[in-house]
Parts: sequence; C-alpha cells; structure tokens
Amino acid sequence: MTQSLPPKSLVLYADDDPDDIELLSEAFQVYSNNVELMTFSDGIDLLRFIETIDPEHAAPCLFILDINMPRLDGKETLRRLRRLDSFSDVPAVLFSTSSLPADAAFAKNFNAGFVTKPLHTNQIHLIVDEIIEHCSDDFKNNIRKKNGNNK
Amino acid sequence: MTKKALSLTEFIDLPEETQFETLYQHAVYVGKRKKAQQQVVLFQLHGFYVEVYYKLYRKEIDHIITSNSTDILQPYLEQINIIELKNKKTGEKDM
Repeated sequence: MTQSLPPKSLVLYADDDPDDIELLSEAFQVYSNNVELMTFSDGIDLLRFIETIDPEHAAPCLFILDINMPRLDGKETLRRLRRLDSFSDVPAVLFSTSSLPADAAFAKNFNAGFVTKPLHTNQIHLIVDEIIEHCSDDFKNNIRKKNGNNK
Repeated sequence: MTKKALSLTEFIDLPEETQFETLYQHAVYVGKRKKAQQQVVLFQLHGFYVEVYYKLYRKEIDHIITSNSTDILQPYLEQINIIELKNKKTGEKDM
C-alpha cells in the first residue's frame, strides 16, 4: 500500500546573512516533519520565487523577512507582497537585528509581526515560537499536534 | 513614561544577564565583523557602543567590550565597499 505524506507547510525566509540563515534553519529543525523552510539571499529572490508558484496549491504559510538586505530590503519586500492579491493575507514577520520602534510600527501597518534576532542561545527557541505565533491558527494547531505539544 | 537613557557606567555596573537583556531590548545594530575567526557584533546603546564577541554566533557570548568613542566604528567602516557604493550611485543616475 502506498501512503502519501501530507504536504509540508512552506515558510519563506529572506536574509543576506548566511549565519542567520543557518541559525534559523537549525532552529526550525524541530518542525522539519511538517515545515519546509526555503531561504533566499534578498527580497528580489523571494519575490521572483513566488512568481513561479501556484498559490492555490503551494501557498506559503509564512514569510520571514530580514530588514537590512541589499537590493531589496525586508520592508520594501513586505510592501510589495501586500500588493499581490494572492499573498496579501499570508502572515509575515520582519526579523530584525534591532528593536527599533519605527520598524515595529512599519510591520504593524502592513499587518506583519516584528521579531528581534536573538542575542544568545536562550532566546532562539522562544523566537521561533514567537515567529510561529504569527501563523494561522490551522497551521499552529497542525504543527503543535504533530509535535505532541497541545499548548 | 519617558525612558531614562542609561549611561556607560550604569551599563557596566549591570549584571551580565541584564546587560544582555538591555542590549536585546534597546540597542541598535550597527554592524558585524570577524576577528580571528570570532564573530563580533557592534550595537549602539544610547550614547555609547557595545561590541559582543561570540564563542558561537548568536548562541554563546564570549565577552563584551564597551566604548563611548567612535573609534570602535573603524573596523566596520573599513568593510564598506566604497567602489560598490560609487557604482551603485552612478547606476542610479543612469536609470
């Protein structure tokens, strides 16, 4: 009997810092059974990728955007995502190295979350939980059930 | 409520965990560099600077260095590729 695995939820993450990409990829490993984290080196690459996907079949469940990136920064990427009908409602998080109130206000204006990158290890898993908290309820329930966490 | 700006001396006197929490909550990221295979991140906090030296990047902090001198910016400024910026500016004019 062939049993097909349920599709993984797609999380798209743009960041120009390979160390931060490695860190978050490692932190998302705990959800690797049900989440696929795809990474991009800037906003342009992320936007190019979503042009190629069919939102009916493979809609991302979350965008994570570093603020300071070359070519197209996280804020402009978010602004452009919100103009796209198919992706305007997808949860998004600005992932920043500083807790600047102006950036937090920008995120709020564009219906996105705002999370500061961790300073040290005690914060990393809390931060992934904080990021996941911005996803839809269905997504959260699904991954918590699969991870045996009924928070 | 107005937040009181922390002085460098007050910051130095804080317990280590409170220093880290203060950096996380209030500092502004300035830049990142490598020094002898060690990742170093520079933050500005109120009127002074704090460099965080990592044993493991964003996981384990080795030590921090504080300064109220802009000399601490020098290695970060040296990383800026002026030619690239100049080309970018020229390109913008050409558009």
